[in-house]
Amino acid sequence: MSPGIEQLFFGIAAVVATVSSLLVVTRRNPIYSAMFLIVMFAAVSVIFMLLDATFLGFMQLLVYAGAIMVLYLFVIMLINPREGDLPEESGVTEKSFAAGVALLIFSLLSFAISHSNEVERLSSLGPIPLIPEVSASHGTIRAFGLELFQKHLLVFELTSVLVLVGIIGAVHLASRGRKDRTTASSEAREGMVNPDV
Amino acid sequence: MFSLPALLYLSALLFSVGTYGVLARRNILVVLMSLELMLNAVNIALVSFGRVHALTAFAGEHGGQIFTLMVLAVAAAEAAIGLSLLLVIWRRWNTIDLRQLCRLNG
Repeated sequence: MSPGIEQLFFGIAAVVATVSSLLVVTRRNPIYSAMFLIVMFAAVSVIFMLLDATFLGFMQLLVYAGAIMVLYLFVIMLINPREGDLPEESGVTEKSFAAGVALLIFSLLSFAISHSNEVERLSSLGPIPLIPEVSASHGTIRAFGLELFQKHLLVFELTSVLVLVGIIGAVHLASRGRKDRTTASSEAREGMVNPDV
Repeated sequence: MFSLPALLYLSALLFSVGTYGVLARRNILVVLMSLELMLNAVNIALVSFGRVHALTAFAGEHGGQIFTLMVLAVAAAEAAIGLSLLLVIWRRWNTIDLRQLCRLNG
C-alpha cells in the first residue's frame, strides 16, 4: 500500500474516531452512545491495522465491538430505561467544569508531546509506515503468538487469573441480585395469596 | 500526517473526550462507556510507541501490542464487574443516576 493511501485512511479513521467519541459523550439516550462507541472502536481498529498490528486490530473488533458492546446492549435491554428513567443531565456549570478539566488535560498532554525530545527524535526518522522496517510477519497471529507465549507467558497467565476473578465477581453480583428479587416476588405472592385465605 | 505525533495527539484528544464524559455525565452506563473510550485512547498510544520501538524495545518486537492485549483483558473484566454492579444498583434503587448514589448507606 502506498504511503499516500495510508495517510488518507489514517485521516478518515482519526476524524471518524473523534466525531463518534464526541457523540458518545453527548447523546442522551445510552443506545445511541453504544452505537457510536462501536463506530469509534471500528475506527481505532483501522488505525491498529495501519500500524501493522493486524491481529490486534481483529482482536479489537472481536473483543470490544463483538463482546463488550454486546454486554452493554444486553444491560441496556435488561434495564430498558424509559425517557423518564434517564437521569437529568448536568447543568451548564458542571458541564463547563468538566470541559475545562478535559481541555486542561488535553493541553498538558499536547504540551508534553510537542516538547518531548524522544518523540521529536522518533518522528524525525520519517513517517510510521516506512520506519523502522519490520519483517512482513510483524503483527500477524503467528509472530504475535510466539512472542506472547515465549517472552510474556507469566503476564498472560496472570491476566487469565484477572479474568477469572472478573467472571466470579460478575456471576456473584448478578446472582445475589436475582436471589433478592425472587424472595421479594415470593413475599409479594404470599401477600397476594394470604388475603384470599 | 500519519506520524507518531499525529497518533499521540489523537490519543490525547480521545482521552480528554473520555474525561469529559466521566466528569459531565450522570448516567452510569455512559460513564462506563467513557471509561472504555479512555482505555482505547491509551491503547492507540501504546501500539504506536510499540511500532516505532519495534526493533529496539526490551519487551520485544510486539511489546506494545502485548501490553494492549492485557489492557483489552482488563477492559473486559472491568466492563463485566461494572455492568453487574450497575444491575445490582438498578434492582435495589431503581436508578442509573450517579448523583442519587452519593450516600454510601443502604
